[in-house]
Amino acid sequence: MKEVMLDCFGEACPIPLVKAQNKIAELAIGDVLIVQIDHSCAMKNVPEWARKEGYNVEVEEVDDGEWEVLIEKTK
Amino acid sequence: MAEQTNAASSRRASANRKPKKNQIPFGFLTVALIGVIAVLLNLKSSNVAFFWLTGSAFGFILQKGRFCFTASLRDPLLTGSTSVTRAVVVAFAITTIGFTAIKYGYSAAGLPIPGMSYVVPISLATLIGAFVFGIGMVIAGGCASGTLMRVGEGFVMNLLAFVFFIVGSLWGAHDFGWWKQVFISKGPSIFLPDVFGWMGAVLLQLVVLLAIYIFAEQYEKKRGTSH
Repeated sequence: MKEVMLDCFGEACPIPLVKAQNKIAELAIGDVLIVQIDHSCAMKNVPEWARKEGYNVEVEEVDDGEWEVLIEKTK
Repeated sequence: MAEQTNAASSRRASANRKPKKNQIPFGFLTVALIGVIAVLLNLKSSNVAFFWLTGSAFGFILQKGRFCFTASLRDPLLTGSTSVTRAVVVAFAITTIGFTAIKYGYSAAGLPIPGMSYVVPISLATLIGAFVFGIGMVIAGGCASGTLMRVGEGFVMNLLAFVFFIVGSLWGAHDFGWWKQVFISKGPSIFLPDVFGWMGAVLLQLVVLLAIYIFAEQYEKKRGTSH
């Protein structure tokens, strides 16, 4: 079970989501993708997309305005 | 599966947690400042004070709700999600009812209806302008309200968009007479209540919005299963 970091600090609105979508396709089932974002739009639409796909999602605010979205690829 | 996720997150949590500055005092200070400015503005004009307060409230709701017109039109194509799209449709529906009520109230009292200067013909200028704006807002990461909200949040990139938002608006306002003369006044101006009556216009608009809402919902369901 790997943990892969995806640094999306400073990326504008749709970019973190697009990067996460591409990256999660590369992972094996059971891996965890950790998306680091500082854009509040992405804080909403990345977990929403991931949950819609059926993955386990957890959002953590590690600092003011910085979040880590942990997506576990369950299928 | 769940334990693995929790183990991963607690590892990360202990590794990365930096002590966060408590922002609640700043929150109180900001609210107090907004109140003080409202009182000061009220001395000049109670209208402006009202706009200040409603504007601040509107911005707060926009920010907390992560409402985004850009997302409403971009997400269906990018991720297949239409939740924001449907939120915008609901907003339109409520606005339709509200504004029609206001206009009808004035009309029934025999007073001139406010806002009629916004009933203008559709023209090529509107269509092309809207298309260009759409492209621009996705690249800039926000439309008018979204950009203002994000400037308030502190995103520097949107500050750039904000500057050019002002430049573009001023330029447009400067030349608006020409646009009006050459393009906009060429077509018929249709005010729906004139054609369908007050009730008819509201119902027609709500029916169309409902159709869009249902379409958006179906679209999301179909897109979802294709992954």
